Amino acid sequence: MDGVLPAGDAQPEWRSDMIDVSGMSLSELDPFARTLDDSPLAHALRRVAEDVTRSREPIAGFNSAL
Amino acid sequence: MRRHTLPDAAFAALAAGRPDAATVDELTRAQLGRHLLMLRAIVRAAPEQTHDGYAALAAADPAAVRAVVADPIVGLWAASCLAALTRGEDPEHAGIERLARLAAAAGAHGLAEQADHRRLRASRDGLTIDVRLEDSDPVRARFGLTPADRLTDGDVVCWQEHLDKAWDLLVGRHREAAAVLAAVLRVIVPVKPDPGVRGISATSADAYGAVAISAPATATELAVGLLHEAQHSVLNAVRYLFELHAGPDTLGYSPWRDDPRPPSGVLHGAYAYLAVTRFWRTEARAGGGAVAAFEFARWRAAVASAAEGLLASDGLTAAGRRFVGGLRDEVRPWLSEPVPPDVERLATAANAEHRARWRLRNLAVDPSAVRTLADAWRAGRPRPVGDPPTRVVPAPGRALASSDRVRLAHQLLAGGAGDEEPVPGGDTPQRWTGLALVSPQPALRETPEIVAAVYRALGDPTVDPEELAAWLSS
Repeated sequence: MDGVLPAGDAQPEWRSDMIDVSGMSLSELDPFARTLDDSPLAHALRRVAEDVTRSREPIAGFNSAL
Repeated sequence: MRRHTLPDAAFAALAAGRPDAATVDELTRAQLGRHLLMLRAIVRAAPEQTHDGYAALAAADPAAVRAVVADPIVGLWAASCLAALTRGEDPEHAGIERLARLAAAAGAHGLAEQADHRRLRASRDGLTIDVRLEDSDPVRARFGLTPADRLTDGDVVCWQEHLDKAWDLLVGRHREAAAVLAAVLRVIVPVKPDPGVRGISATSADAYGAVAISAPATATELAVGLLHEAQHSVLNAVRYLFELHAGPDTLGYSPWRDDPRPPSGVLHGAYAYLAVTRFWRTEARAGGGAVAAFEFARWRAAVASAAEGLLASDGLTAAGRRFVGGLRDEVRPWLSEPVPPDVERLATAANAEHRARWRLRNLAVDPSAVRTLADAWRAGRPRPVGDPPTRVVPAPGRALASSDRVRLAHQLLAGGAGDEEPVPGGDTPQRWTGLALVSPQPALRETPEIVAAVYRALGDPTVDPEELAAWLSS
C-alpha cells in the first residue's frame, strides 16, 4: 500500500502501489502473456478492472454563473 | 518496474493546489498507463473481436499510439467498454469496434481523426492552452450532462473568443494555475445548460483532462469553471495512485451541494473550490470589487470547514491525512485576511443559509422524539434533555446549490437594488431558512430541522416559532 519511507530518510516520499506502465509498448503489454498473480502488473490490472466496475458518478457540476 | 512516486514536498504542494510540472507529469503518465491497462484488459476479454485491432495498434508508431491512447475520451470509452465486457455484455454492444478506429488513427498519426475535430488554442506570454472541442462522439454523454448539439462555426468562434479572454485573465493574474490547466486540459465537451442553474460543468474519473461545460456567458465564468474542473481531474488522478479515504461512505454536509455527499465527494468539492477560492482571492486583491471579495470570503470559509470536517472524521488514510492537511494548511491563513465587513456579513449569511437549507432538506428527525417534545410543549413542561436523533434522508436527485440569497448578494454587491421576493409565511423551507438566519435562538440557528419538525407535530399555526425555538434552546 502507499506509504512514506521510514522516518529519518532524507527525502520522504509517497509511493503508490500502482506501477508505471506508461513507457511500455503494446507488445510488451501482451494481453496473452501470463502474469503472475502477485506481480505488480497483475495487481495493476486487477485494480483497473475493479475501478471500472465500481459505480462512479461523474463529478458534477459546478455552477459557474455569477 | 518502478512504482509511481511523489516526494512528500511535492505531495504537499499538490494538496495545496499548487502541483509543479513534474508532479502533473507523473499524474498524466499514470493516466496513460491506466488507459493502456484498460486496453489490455479489453483485448483479453474479447480476443476474437480485438486481436487484429490490437496488433495494428501495436505495429503503429509508438508516439502516435501514446497520443491517441492518452486521449481522455479514449479513457471514457475504454472504461465503459471494459465494464460492459466484465458484466458479460456482447462485445459489439460494449463498443468494441472503437479499438480498430484507434489503430487507424494512430496509423495515420492521428491526422485523420484530428481533421474532423474543432480545436481551441490561446497563447499569452509564452503559455499556450490547446484543447479539442468534442461535440460529436457519442461517448461524451457519459459525463452525465446533456451534450450540446454539434457546434456551428459561429459557436466555435464564440468559444474561441471566450477562451482568448479567459486565457488573458488566467495568464495575466493566475499564471501558476494557468500552467497547470494548460498541462492537464486536453478536451472540452460542450453541454447544454442545466435548467436549474445557469452554467454547469462536470468531469469524469475515466476522462482525465476532459471537462464537460456549458457555453460560458463570460470569460471569467469560463476561467473559473475550467480551474474548478481541472482540480477534479487532478484529484481523480491522485486517487488512482493513492487511497485517501478508506472509511465508511457516510453521507454528510457539503457546502456546495444541496444534497448529502460521501467523504470522497466532500473532498472533491473542497479541492475544486480551493482553486476557486484562490482565484477570487487574487481577483479581490487586484481590485476585483465587492463580488470578488464576497466569493473569496464565502468559499474560504466553506473550504476550511470542509477540510476540518474531513480531518476530524474517521476514514482518512495516512496519505489522505497528509493531503487534506495540506489543503487545510493552504486555506487556513486566508481566513484572517481582511474583507470589507459588509461583504463578510453577506458571505457568512450565505454560508449559514446554505447550511440551514441543507439541514431542512436532508435531515429527518426521529418521530417519537418529536412527539415527546411536542407533548412536553403542550403540557407546559421544561424541554426534555438531549437533542432528538436525526438521520440523513436525502431528497431524490443530485442537487447543485442554488440560492436566491447568493443571487441577491451579487445584485447588491454589484450596485443593484436587489429583487428579492418577500419570504412567504407558513411552514415552508424558505421561511425556516430565513428564521434560522435572523434568530438569536441557538436551536433555530443550529438545528432548524428540529424546530420545524416539532412545529409541524404541534399542528397549531398560532405557535410562535421564536418562542418554540427559545424553549428548545433552554
